[in-house]
Amino acid sequence: MLFRKVSFYLAIAGVVAALSLVHRMKQHPPSPGPESPPARSPYADTVAATGLVEAARENVKIASPRSGLVTRVAVKVGDRAKSGDLLFQLNDREVRARVSAMEAQLASMEANVTVEEVSVADWTDQVERFSKLERDKVATEDELKRRQFTLQGARARVGASRAAIAASRRQLEQARTDLEILSVRAPRDGQLLQVNLREGEFAPAAAMSGDPLMLLGDVDHLQIRAEVDEQNAVLVDAKQPAQASLKGHADLQMPLRFVRIEPYVVPKRSLTGDSLERVDTRVLQIVFELDRPPFPVYVGQQVDVFIARIASAAGSP
Amino acid sequence: MFHLALKMLMGDRAKYIMLVGGLTFAALLMTQQNAVFQGLLSWTTSHLRNMRASIWVVEAHVDYANETKPLRDTDVNRVRSVKGVDFAVPMYQGILKAKDSDGADKQIMLIGLHGATLFGRPPQMLAGSLQQLRLPNTVVIDELGVQRLTAKSKRTIRIGDTFEINDREARIVGICRTERHFFGYPYVFSSYDQALQYAPRQRKMLSVILAEPKPGAAISDVALAIQRETGLKAYTSEEFAKVTVEYIWKNTGIPMSFMTTIILGFIVGVAVSGQTFFSFVLENLRHLGALKAMGASTWTLSRMLLLQAFTVGTIGYGMGVGLAALFGFAVLPVGQPPFLLEAGSMIKTAVAIVIMCCFSALLGIRKVARLEPAIVFRG
Repeated sequence: MLFRKVSFYLAIAGVVAALSLVHRMKQHPPSPGPESPPARSPYADTVAATGLVEAARENVKIASPRSGLVTRVAVKVGDRAKSGDLLFQLNDREVRARVSAMEAQLASMEANVTVEEVSVADWTDQVERFSKLERDKVATEDELKRRQFTLQGARARVGASRAAIAASRRQLEQARTDLEILSVRAPRDGQLLQVNLREGEFAPAAAMSGDPLMLLGDVDHLQIRAEVDEQNAVLVDAKQPAQASLKGHADLQMPLRFVRIEPYVVPKRSLTGDSLERVDTRVLQIVFELDRPPFPVYVGQQVDVFIARIASAAGSP
Repeated sequence: MFHLALKMLMGDRAKYIMLVGGLTFAALLMTQQNAVFQGLLSWTTSHLRNMRASIWVVEAHVDYANETKPLRDTDVNRVRSVKGVDFAVPMYQGILKAKDSDGADKQIMLIGLHGATLFGRPPQMLAGSLQQLRLPNTVVIDELGVQRLTAKSKRTIRIGDTFEINDREARIVGICRTERHFFGYPYVFSSYDQALQYAPRQRKMLSVILAEPKPGAAISDVALAIQRETGLKAYTSEEFAKVTVEYIWKNTGIPMSFMTTIILGFIVGVAVSGQTFFSFVLENLRHLGALKAMGASTWTLSRMLLLQAFTVGTIGYGMGVGLAALFGFAVLPVGQPPFLLEAGSMIKTAVAIVIMCCFSALLGIRKVARLEPAIVFRG
């Protein structure tokens, strides 16, 4: 009878063990959910898009007007420049030498004119006196005439010298303009987004294909270029409210104002930084403007954009 | 009278052990095989439990969870635009080649989670932090990964160690617990952008879009809306598990081979228990005849036999599932072979045992019904 009891308890223990295992295997840890809040649409009906922050007016790629060695870079990345502020200075020693040579030449020519003028004064005086002597028949007419011609010659030399001085002045001005050109200045107000130039480097004047020497942008006024899949293009309406949030920071939201829909649908740019072309998707670009939010936003940053859509347009395509 | 029946049953210890043993073996075989089979099937849907999401949006021609047909990047925004979708994030999945520090090739299952939200992250972290996936060249591996990626002759890899995925460096920043993949590849988690760096270049890279419905919206309705508006296939997690299991049933021989074992277990159980019980009845025929002669009806005797059969059945069942559970407890920490014991399979075993008992009792009852009480007084 002992065996009966043992088998009975073993059977109960077996069922209990099996049930506890069943219970244990049913336990799944709960879904962990998102680690940080994901981008959510604030509107009931929405068109979602990916956007890029850019400066409101297009950025200026600063170029060099002359090829030459850079002797001074007057700005740092992130500096704010006013229109006309010096950005960088090309090597100007040659032009400066030319200017100072011309200035010296001009001075010498001006001194020469003074000499000529003295000679004119001398001959004017002589002509006056000889015309008196000729009237008193002390001097001959020939003597007077000779002096009169000499005076005319002297006056003509003064004129010629003055014309030469004027021409030299123009040349000096030109040289000074050349000097001025070697100082590259900001064409408009803005912030320096990139500076790819250092003292001692050679700045080419050729058209650039790679990085610009400097990139100047107006970052006080930002805009967002949102890209919508062409298949959703029909759902986008002008003038609808929209909202953007920084990629990875869904709680940092920025209200957007509609500016325009780019009329040309472009191939999607791959933002993975990969040079491989993947252009089977075309996207509609929509431009929004935004006020600078209280948190930092940088040009070139990615954002998630949600555009409201009219409920009637929400039908299935 | 029933007390007598039990005494008759327990009286012969050898017979009793035979009877209980046969049924225990049948119950063990059926439960254990069923559990291993269910475990194997659950491995096919391990994705759905390792990366938790309510809705899985995949390419229209994807049939089961381990299949990858890439989508276009902008499809994420199309899913986000569907009404009722709370949020949607991209996920990469792909089988890639990894190299341990000895240079040996290992296959891994690379999962790229959306970098900002890490949605779909594994529920259990054992060490390290998942947040560090946002750093460059970082991955989180599972326990199987620790085993597989440890080079022979070197110490077990741990956080801070590196290995190579597709010739790129991967630094381990965390170890998580996952459910095993059907093909036995360790799970390696990275951020989505990082996964695209590891993965071989393709025109389209996005594998799955994970989506959650707005609070209050029915998951299946939202899935249908996504399907209608985008033309992609949107499964709820349960549906996806179901179609995956269906795919395995239809397209592999695995269910058939397991079913064969289970049915064989049943047949062996029926044969053994039926035969043992019948011989038990034959041996006790004289006692039963005596009872009948004393005036017990066939009905009473049948109930006695049924009680005996079911007592043996219950004890055999209890010990059988107990042994199966013991097997389960033993293999569970190892993770191999697959094992998943569900209440359903316990009930199925119980039903099979009941059928066996009924069959055995029926054999005995037939004998008893035809029994002439006079047999007692012959030889």
